Amino acid sequence: MSTDSDTQSESDAREQLIDLAAEFYDQFADGEVPTMSIPTRTKSNIEYDEDMDVWVYGDRKSTRSAKTVSGAQKLLKATYVIEFLAQQLEEDRSSTLRELYYLSESFDHEEAQFNSQDESNQLIEDLEIVSDVRREEFHMRPEESGATVMGPLLIREQTRRGEREIHCQEDVGEGGYQIPNNPDTIEFLDNDADFALCVETGGMRDRLVENGFDEEHNCIVVHLKGQPARATRRLTKRLHDELGLPVTVFTDGDPWSYRIYGSVAYGSIKSAHLSEYLATPDAQFIGIQPADIVEYDLPTDPLSDSDVNALESELEDPRFQTDYWEEQIELQLDIEKKAEQQSLAARGLDFVTDTYLPERLDAMGVI
Amino acid sequence: MTSYQSTLAEGEGIAEELAEAQRSISIAEFFEKNRQMLGFDSGARALVTAVKEAVDNALDATEESGILPDIYVEIQENDDYYRLIVEDNGPGITKEQIPKIFGKLLYGSRFHAREQNRGQQGIGISAAVLYSQLTSGKPAKITSRTKGSADAKYFELTIDTDSNEPEIEGEDTTSWDRPHGTRIELEMEANMRARNQLHDYIKHTAVVNPHARLELREPQEQFKFERATDQLPEETEEIRPHPHGVELGTLQKMLDATDSYSVSGFLQEEFTRVGGKTSDKVIDSFRDRHFGREMAWSAPATHEEADVEAAVSEAVANKGAQATAEFAESVAAEIDDAGSVTHSRVQGIVETVAEGIEDEYGTTFGSTVREKAVAAAWDAVTDERTGDIYALVDEATTDRKDDAHVQGLAERIAAKFEDEDTPHDRLTRDQVGDYVDRAADATEEYDEATFGETAREKVVDAIWGRMATVPDEPPNITAIDDDRDTASELHEAMRETDIIAPPTDCLSPISDELVLEGLKKEFDADFYAASTRDAAVHGGDPFIVEAGIAYGGDLEESSSADVMRFANRVPLVYQRGACSITDVVKTINWRNYKLDQPGGSGIPNGPAVIMVHVASTNVPFTSESKDAVANVPEIEDEVERAIREAARDLKSYLKKRRSMEKRRRKQDKLATILPEMAEKLEEVTGNGELNIDDSLARIMNNVLVDRERDGETVRLIVENNDDTTATLEITDIVSEDPGEVEGANVVEMDGEYFVKWTAEVAAGTEASIEYSVDGDATFDVQVEGIEDEKLTINA
Repeated sequence: MSTDSDTQSESDAREQLIDLAAEFYDQFADGEVPTMSIPTRTKSNIEYDEDMDVWVYGDRKSTRSAKTVSGAQKLLKATYVIEFLAQQLEEDRSSTLRELYYLSESFDHEEAQFNSQDESNQLIEDLEIVSDVRREEFHMRPEESGATVMGPLLIREQTRRGEREIHCQEDVGEGGYQIPNNPDTIEFLDNDADFALCVETGGMRDRLVENGFDEEHNCIVVHLKGQPARATRRLTKRLHDELGLPVTVFTDGDPWSYRIYGSVAYGSIKSAHLSEYLATPDAQFIGIQPADIVEYDLPTDPLSDSDVNALESELEDPRFQTDYWEEQIELQLDIEKKAEQQSLAARGLDFVTDTYLPERLDAMGVI
Repeated sequence: MTSYQSTLAEGEGIAEELAEAQRSISIAEFFEKNRQMLGFDSGARALVTAVKEAVDNALDATEESGILPDIYVEIQENDDYYRLIVEDNGPGITKEQIPKIFGKLLYGSRFHAREQNRGQQGIGISAAVLYSQLTSGKPAKITSRTKGSADAKYFELTIDTDSNEPEIEGEDTTSWDRPHGTRIELEMEANMRARNQLHDYIKHTAVVNPHARLELREPQEQFKFERATDQLPEETEEIRPHPHGVELGTLQKMLDATDSYSVSGFLQEEFTRVGGKTSDKVIDSFRDRHFGREMAWSAPATHEEADVEAAVSEAVANKGAQATAEFAESVAAEIDDAGSVTHSRVQGIVETVAEGIEDEYGTTFGSTVREKAVAAAWDAVTDERTGDIYALVDEATTDRKDDAHVQGLAERIAAKFEDEDTPHDRLTRDQVGDYVDRAADATEEYDEATFGETAREKVVDAIWGRMATVPDEPPNITAIDDDRDTASELHEAMRETDIIAPPTDCLSPISDELVLEGLKKEFDADFYAASTRDAAVHGGDPFIVEAGIAYGGDLEESSSADVMRFANRVPLVYQRGACSITDVVKTINWRNYKLDQPGGSGIPNGPAVIMVHVASTNVPFTSESKDAVANVPEIEDEVERAIREAARDLKSYLKKRRSMEKRRRKQDKLATILPEMAEKLEEVTGNGELNIDDSLARIMNNVLVDRERDGETVRLIVENNDDTTATLEITDIVSEDPGEVEGANVVEMDGEYFVKWTAEVAAGTEASIEYSVDGDATFDVQVEGIEDEKLTINA
């Protein structure tokens, strides 16, 4: 993206925010009760958008109304945050979500201060939804920067200190290329990749790199670092959409990891308003599948009560209502076991790169 | 104890008449050994008790003469002793009355009368006199002036503790500034450690006697309680005792004292609610207990061997064939017609038929013949008993009982009637029970059947039900009086017979309005509620319970609620924990009524006063010192209902208050947040100054319940300013009958009309109901289905 378009989007973002404030202003001016209506952000209010192939919010709305004290407090906070963001954009600076939380301490009205960071994070999400502007365009960053990429890919990144061209195998160390907070500042220049492999844990990512899996299979290894940050998901989506690479996801074999796959492929419940922008519906799940646990006779841990609850909750999650997932989840509930990615090491350190992944990828038709 | 003063109008006559009614009971010495029972166990308590007895007396004396009480109490410290002076403005007492009234224990008409009264028993001021004499050695000093007399009379009085006889030591004429009244001065060993109880007693007395003016002067402090009303309590009627309310001992005393000869006369003369019919019922029940009942047997059926006609005919000799034949035939026919007969009935039939035959044939059927005929007929009737018993047993037991077992039991019971020496099959219920038990035991043993307690009881009931009360004359009063067992049978019969409740005009409740007045007078609170229950009865004594609650204002916030207990307008200051009133207060779940109650039971916390008044012709106390009401279930139930009634008002008050507080808090908060938000918006948008008043107004009026009244027409309107549909359960509690209300249900409960209306009010619309009601009606509207913050009730 060019600097011009950047400035464009920033002034747009600023305008959108001020429009939102103007909406409240008009509500007051008309003698109405100021309200802000946003989609209910729960599992029961997401639905599949057939056109875009992703999960988005349904029709149910929650209303923040000045009629109640808590509603009024939320609106007051929103107004303060709008002012802050508008100013930040004007000065072309950025801040982290945590900084916003602490910054609210300096708001001159006590009622405008946040009680927890969850509250401020949620407000930013609310504002994203109502103003139709993404957090990144507000110049709000999460605390931790994006994860890393390793693979045959040449990119150009627009940094504060100028443009940089980076090859994600040759120009980087063992750690790989760090995904910036806003991956839309990256331009793909060239690549020699056959597919992308998103890995949940750092240990497994390091094992793949050490065994040279990226080189051997022309694969871009994306480290998810647990539940992937927006930037990681955005980059993954771009690898798929712009470079036409198949995307695969390799996680532990437990319910929490299936949700990691879910947020890569279908979009997360909290950011379903951005699914169109973040989700990669064609992403395929490699494993660890419950079926693998049985087939490879992997070392396991028993399912805890919370694991069972999570699995049952996934059975009701609209995103997981496919034959494949129902079969896998029910199998797992049946065997009452879970396994980590690293458990493959029980068959030798090279087992994962020499046997498991090639077998699975072959079965999935990726290689 | 208290009717000792002559009424103003009638002078000495009444006082002497009352003296007639009084009976003396000598227990002076008994007192000396049992002070604690009478509330004189410590110096601190003795002073409170003496004040209490003297003030109760003074109040009764003035009220009975229709005078608004004006009572002065003074306590002086006098070297080692305390001097108690109590003055009233009563009618004064005559010379003859003074020593008797103040000098003799248990001397008073109250001990025998049934009337709501403070003293209730003739133990009171005389006990104080005795206590004073025993501790200080000083006589009681009494001054009294009757209306119209120029001077007052002065006496010094002591009691001979052996003979219970008062002795006047000094007598004089003196002058006194009160135009009429009595003053008593007692010196006693005492102390003021119970100062709080003393103050409480006087203050509480003022609460329940809003018509009295009270003044207390003690060494440290001084209080005056002015009257709140000029309305004297209604005069009470004295009533005779109710048959359900007397103990056996009392009954024996009454039997001893009555002039009646017959039980019937005695019952109707001496008791309330007993007329001819009730007396007959009691006497029948008494007969059943005294004589037992006679078993009735069916006449032999044609297929049976026994034949009444043949038997009677055979028993009669030398009376002419035709007369004999007709006599026998008639007796048999009568018995047949009767269906089943007792021995007495057979006797009656024979007598009647014999008279007829004598008239018709001119033949004499003398007593010997008649007796023989009766015996013959009875033999025939009782020739076969099993059939009758079988029918009764069969009906009384369940279908699942084996028929052979039923037959076995019936045969054995019938055999008991044959074998036992009970002439004419006359048995008490206990004897019937014995027959059945033994027969059932035998049946269980030999036939391996089971007859449990319930089955046996049912069989006894069935047999007893078939048996008939005997026509014998009941014993007369002298005979009953002579035999304790017989008296006990009569006592039981009186208890067991249904008799309508005693009249309640003998009670004088304070009334809920005056309870309110009394509370308002003595407590500076935000809210008051009171309730008076209808009269109820415990053990033959009518009673009325009243309750009052004061809340908020200057009442103490941090401690538990103050429970004030009263019996016949007398405050109960001691033995709080032993009193059933306290028990009831503790068992009520006050959280339901929006009061704080740690642990969900016990005395609630908060700035509240809870008062309960029990008025009765006989308040059951736990002891002679009359400090605590005994646990009588009937009274406890009424106490609970009375408190709950008052507490319901408290609840709606507190609810309203709390919702207003919440609303106020919300409004305060919104009133700071929204202007702040508006200001920020002006800054961010760069637009001009905002006027947010309209928005604020809409925000504050979420759902508004409003009442419009136009003469008799009442309109209840719900306006929904919210943005969601409100489904409300609205209950309008109306004090008068609103008739049918369109769109709502009307339910009457305890004299209040609950107009229940389910209103579905869409966002931004309004709904209403309309009805007509009398102009004086009061309303209380309750709305469910919406948060308090979203609701404004203006109805």
